[in-house]
Amino acid sequence: MNKQQGRPPNPIGHPGGRFTGPIVKPKNQKETLLRIWSYLRIQKVELISVVIFVIISTILSLVGPFLIGKTIDDYIVKLDISGTIRMALILAGVYIASSVLTWIQTFVMIRVSQKTIRRLRQQLFEQYQSLPLAFYDKKQQGDLMSRMTNDIENLNAALSQSVIQIVSSFLTIVGTAFALFYLDWRLALVTLIIIPLIVYATKQIIKRSSVNYKARQRDLGNLNGYIEETISNADIITLFGKEKSTLVEFKEANEKLRGSAMRADIISGFMGPVNNFMNNLGLSLVIGTGAVMAVTSGLTIGVIASFVTYTRQFFRPINQLSNLLNTFQSAIAGSERVFEVLDEVREIEDIEHAIEKSRFKGDVTFENVEFAYESGKPVLRGINFKAKAGETIAIVGPTGSGKTTIIQLLTRFYDATGGRILLDDEPLVHYKMNNVRDHVGVVLQDTYLFSGTVRENIRFGKLSATDEEVEQAAKIAYAHNFIKYLPEQYDTVLSSGGLNLSQGQRQLIAIARAILEDPDILILDEATSSVDTMTEVHIQKGLNNLMNGRTSFVIAHRLKTIENADQILVIKDGQILEQGNHDSLINAQGFYATLQNQLMAN
Amino acid sequence: MQAVWKLSKYIKPYILFAIIAPIMMVIEVSMDLLQPTILQHIIDDGIAQNDTTYIVEMFGLMIATSLIGLIGGIGCSIYASRTAVNFSTDLRQDLYETITYFSNSSKDKFTLGKLVTNLTSDIEMLQRALTMLLKIFVRGPMMFVGAIVIVFFTARELFPILLVVVPILAFCMYYFTALSGKLFHKVQKVVDVVNTKVQENLAGIRVIKAYNRKNHQIDQFADINTQLMQRSMSADQIIGVLAPLTMFVVNMGIVAALWMGAIKVDNNTLQVGVILAFINYLMMVMQGLMSSSMVLVQLARAVPSAGRIVEVLEEKTELTNSSVSESKKIQGSVSFENVSFSYLKGTESVLKNISFHVNAGETVGILGMTGSGKSTLVKMIPRLFDVDSGVIKIDGLPIGHYGLEHLRQSIGFAPQKATLFSKTIADNLRYGKSDATEQQILQALQTANAQEFVDRLEAGTEHVLTQGATNLSGGQKQRLAMARAFIRKPNILVLDDVTSAVDNISEKAIQRAIDEQFDGATKFIVSSKISSVRHANQIFLMDDGKIIAKGTHEQLLKTSELYNEMARTQAEKGVTLSE
Ligand SMILES: Nc1ncnc2c1ncn2[C@@H]1O[C@H](COP(=O)(O)OP(=O)(O)O)[C@@H](O)[C@H]1O
Ligand SMILES: Nc1ncnc2c1ncn2[C@@H]1O[C@H](COP(=O)(O)OP(=O)(O)O)[C@@H](O)[C@H]1O
Ligand SMILES: [Mg+2]
Ligand SMILES: [Mg+2]
Repeated sequence: MNKQQGRPPNPIGHPGGRFTGPIVKPKNQKETLLRIWSYLRIQKVELISVVIFVIISTILSLVGPFLIGKTIDDYIVKLDISGTIRMALILAGVYIASSVLTWIQTFVMIRVSQKTIRRLRQQLFEQYQSLPLAFYDKKQQGDLMSRMTNDIENLNAALSQSVIQIVSSFLTIVGTAFALFYLDWRLALVTLIIIPLIVYATKQIIKRSSVNYKARQRDLGNLNGYIEETISNADIITLFGKEKSTLVEFKEANEKLRGSAMRADIISGFMGPVNNFMNNLGLSLVIGTGAVMAVTSGLTIGVIASFVTYTRQFFRPINQLSNLLNTFQSAIAGSERVFEVLDEVREIEDIEHAIEKSRFKGDVTFENVEFAYESGKPVLRGINFKAKAGETIAIVGPTGSGKTTIIQLLTRFYDATGGRILLDDEPLVHYKMNNVRDHVGVVLQDTYLFSGTVRENIRFGKLSATDEEVEQAAKIAYAHNFIKYLPEQYDTVLSSGGLNLSQGQRQLIAIARAILEDPDILILDEATSSVDTMTEVHIQKGLNNLMNGRTSFVIAHRLKTIENADQILVIKDGQILEQGNHDSLINAQGFYATLQNQLMAN
Repeated sequence: MQAVWKLSKYIKPYILFAIIAPIMMVIEVSMDLLQPTILQHIIDDGIAQNDTTYIVEMFGLMIATSLIGLIGGIGCSIYASRTAVNFSTDLRQDLYETITYFSNSSKDKFTLGKLVTNLTSDIEMLQRALTMLLKIFVRGPMMFVGAIVIVFFTARELFPILLVVVPILAFCMYYFTALSGKLFHKVQKVVDVVNTKVQENLAGIRVIKAYNRKNHQIDQFADINTQLMQRSMSADQIIGVLAPLTMFVVNMGIVAALWMGAIKVDNNTLQVGVILAFINYLMMVMQGLMSSSMVLVQLARAVPSAGRIVEVLEEKTELTNSSVSESKKIQGSVSFENVSFSYLKGTESVLKNISFHVNAGETVGILGMTGSGKSTLVKMIPRLFDVDSGVIKIDGLPIGHYGLEHLRQSIGFAPQKATLFSKTIADNLRYGKSDATEQQILQALQTANAQEFVDRLEAGTEHVLTQGATNLSGGQKQRLAMARAFIRKPNILVLDDVTSAVDNISEKAIQRAIDEQFDGATKFIVSSKISSVRHANQIFLMDDGKIIAKGTHEQLLKTSELYNEMARTQAEKGVTLSE
């Protein structure tokens, strides 16, 4: 789009290159594997029983052919019908047992891996709920969604097979190796020659597929980020007729994925044929050497024949293992992206012996509070004020002066970087964070409603609220008035974000939600900005009662409350320029007064 | 299955790859099959005749066939992956394109979570199935059919056993794949829910934190998480049964062969070697079936995904373009004639019989109660929705007659919710005009009174916004969204309550700038403040989807009771202050 300026277009989904993927510094695979193992390990009983079952069923699967041989040699050939039938029944028993055991193994392992996956998914979700807001400022939502589904799913594919295959392969390899050496140690050595080759080839392939799987998962995450953002905001794309350029950008990300997915797929696909080749090579070596030995030193044909069978049996589990390793690369690539989020630092923990209160008086004091979203770029500087319990504090000031930021410190969305904030004369950080948030009710400038009914959305403010309480709150917020005209009234289902309501209606519901919470400190951050003035007057009436006796912070333009507020804080460029009540500020003839006069003159 | 057929057109461009891959596989398999024969020659001819050179020759041949097999295998892998990845990438592009042109109601119908699953998991599923199909499907059936044929010719005495075993196996396979297909469909549905849940929880994280509802959300998620686990588990378990079951049936076949064989050998109608051979072939039948069943299971998973994708691809876009698309320059006169509209058909209309006419270059103010239909009305102009009845005309021509692109190109629209993208500020503005120069960007920022704050940013217009522009204040967002509309220099400018978070001094400045620079443009200004629209040529007062009064400020003061009341409440509230 902006090529004419000679600047490369932004890489999709990661402006400013914030998401330089793990491809740059491959992390420790072993560490990731151990960590995956730590999840599996929790289900010890299941794992141990699976291992036991695998051992038994592997032995049974070796017994089967042995019994067949015996039946033929000892009974059928000797025309012993009843003996044959007896043997056949034993064989049937063995087979039934082995089938049942195989089934049980799979059954248990599927449970184990699905439970592990659920645990991981739950942990990731809890992590998403516990990370500080600054984290979300950095990440694309779609990318985070991708980690939850796609990346975790990759692990699932590897897990359910892992334990069974590792154990059974190992057993078979060891058992067959013994048989090989027992038959002829020289030929056995020839067979073993192939193993380093297999190991080498596997390593080479895995090294490459691991890098490519990582690239694939990263590209998929980026693509998801782009998808989520553009589909969510499709309105804007439509309005500005940007469909084409959106498609071009999508294509860029999609092509990236085409490349990395192709590479990952092709390279990991080499594993099968390469292993097959190794088998054939090994077999050829065995047969070639065997034949030469037969000619020169009288090795029997029977031994060669058995060797061929055993060699096949020997290579099969080795191939399985190397395939499993390959599958694990994809799982590791996914898990790493999950662990990366799990390793992010959570929101600040409560201090030891944090205070918990059932009710707050509502004294709020800011002492020399400083704050910066990004270090070195202060947004608030030296904020000092004292709100006494029950007071209404109005915060006014130009856009971007830091009003919302003050509020966000009070709700502990962010913590002040300097100075301190006192609540009921105790530093805010001495309280349990949850305790504070439970008692501070805030209507955010950006309302968000969840998919679900209107009732559920209001009830979000107080989960135990009865239907009557919900309606009562809606009435105070003047939301009842429109809700009663909705198709299903309070049971009308809202879409994600409440997009099937008008913007103002969304604000009314958000206000009702806050009213229902019945907080000790109420914060309204431009809560009625999209509401018409007539409705606003109604809300104001309701709120006046509510604000009576509880500390309230109001950020608003055109509210009478500002004039009636006990204190008005005039914020400019992150500092309190003036403070006082309406009359004293007018008399002071400062910024506030000029503001007023200018507007009067208009 | 029909869905799969519909998607097959995406393979067409890669049909050559799709044909080469199985052929390569045939090469690999044939080379594998050659090996036992060579082995036989080594033993029968080489060793028997003590012919070392012959042995060495045959050894060389074995290595050669292995190498050819390797080439075949690798070739198959390459071409199978190429087909599948290309297929899925193209399909994703088309799917995304379809979704990009979706109407709002289609998007509501499918939900964001599902669309994301469609574009990722579902397509992934198809890709995997196709790869498998191309890689393995030749091998399994070849082995299976081959073994049956050989048994028919060499071990006919035991063939009846196959007549019993094979139908049972085929039935199991069919039943289980069909069942697992159904179960996987259910799994995908929960994945949709998970996607939606996660998306909402990320988008609404501030609300959740403010209300301290972390645990509530976690509990809610635990429910669907468990549901997802249970559904995936049952789907996986069904497939988990398949392998031991097949093994069991085949092994019972072996037991039967021994039993029957013993009797027949006793009757002297069968030789022992035949039993041995039969058992080996039965194993091959099983192997063939097992590997085919893996593909079948993948296919069974892919079929519902294909169905879901086709459903999206076939969704009709509501807006239809007329065949004649007018492309003359839009001057900007707008008229509504008896326009009615409802979001959900069959429910009460949101716009009821709206009629008005606005001349090019006029300013229209729209006032009214929350939810009265102001935003809906202005959304009709760029055809974000189409009317249920009535006509909207621009420059005397129904808007359906203009090309959509042309129509929207002529409108600068700043919606009520200031939505910005996670790009630089400059890139966000270029959304309005892709070839905007630096100068034009600065100009637009200035008009929106945004230059001051942008200047103060270290990176200026190259400042990168976060998703949802959470690193800006509300008013800053609105200004940028406004600037994005301004930069188009449109002939129709729609501002839907865009100064609600902008302080009044700035708002005045913005109004002045608009008056200067968009003198010739038709302006629709939705607001809740009379002061923002009092100088408009016409003011519409809306209530419950109707325009209940129309006129200039002075006229309305005389004619409308409600308008007077509004004016009173706003005056009472005294001087409007800053933000
Ligand atoms: N999450 C954030 N990251 C970085 N900067 C931010 C963030 N939120 C706000 N800002 C910046 O901090 C300043 C104050 O913002 P805010 O408190 O929202 O202003 P307002 O007074 O309009 O409510 C603005 O310049 C804004 O760009
Ligand atoms: N996408 C939608 N789906 C269904 N109903 C909607 C949608 N958007 C708005 N509405 C309803 O249409 C009515 C008018 O909304 P709107 O035009 O946004 O009002 P406002 O006058 O506040 O801008 C409201 O009752 C609202 O609930
Ligand atoms: Mg703010
Ligand atoms: Mg609106």
